[in-house]
Amino acid sequence: MPNSRMILLTGGSACGKSSYAEELCQKLSFPRYYIAAMRPFGDDSEEKIARHRVLRSGKGFETIERYTDLQGLTLPKRGTVLLECICNLTANEMFDEDGVWADPYEMVVAGVKALRSQSDTLIVITNEVGTDSRAYDPGTKAYMDVLGRINRALAQQADVVRELVCGIPLTLKGNLEEIV
Amino acid sequence: MILIVGGEGSGKRDFAETLGYAEKDIADAKIDERPVVYHLEQLVFAQPEQADALLDRLLEKEIVICCEVGSGIIPVDRKERMGREATGRLCVRLAQQAQAVVRMVCGIPTVIKGELPGRR
Repeated sequence: MPNSRMILLTGGSACGKSSYAEELCQKLSFPRYYIAAMRPFGDDSEEKIARHRVLRSGKGFETIERYTDLQGLTLPKRGTVLLECICNLTANEMFDEDGVWADPYEMVVAGVKALRSQSDTLIVITNEVGTDSRAYDPGTKAYMDVLGRINRALAQQADVVRELVCGIPLTLKGNLEEIV
Repeated sequence: MILIVGGEGSGKRDFAETLGYAEKDIADAKIDERPVVYHLEQLVFAQPEQADALLDRLLEKEIVICCEVGSGIIPVDRKERMGREATGRLCVRLAQQAQAVVRMVCGIPTVIKGELPGRR
């Protein structure tokens, strides 16, 4: 991977990850690709997709909708890539339409690696889902567990890991100034 | 305004008390004449679509305390989802204008923005 950098952004829902990621991309080179992993399903995912679209408009992103199999994706050129987000990608790789589940770990981790190999800078957005105390069904529990393991694997590969809290970036690993 | 965030039981209210605020100063899930708003998330969850309308009045407060509610499984229930999203986004906006933002973890305060004033 020649000069390929990876930044991992994590945090809870609505903590400012997307806006921050887009702000970072503004400082990085063209072309800029936005890989959207969220399936437009249900009212509020459509609202969310629309909101993200507005956030990105005029910032020079080419949007690529890709819900599964990042390894099969070929980008037209090297550049800046924003992948949003691992929680959707993991769910898409894990559950089929009937709710039957398989282990998505390899698909997601190898997929991110494949994307990185085609990027100058890859920014990956993930989510913290492991910190509530409810009793979930086995499928959801397995999802929380595997997403936690995927996050750890990605953090290990990333040059920089930041957590967003109320829109404020906290550095968990690395030095962003060396990259951006 | 100082924004204090953290999980349930993480010590947010006790920390506010170390800044010199007492029981009588704390409005629980209410915005009234008292200088501290506690359980902001409950206010937002009651009417998620009205969250933005709270901003100006919250900015006039000395302390705003909010539970971090976005770090779990995304709820199946739409209203609950809207509540967490609205809480998160309101906190981002409050943090932008706050003099200081404190995040509590295991009772330990970390100032993640600005500087704390001395005890009142």
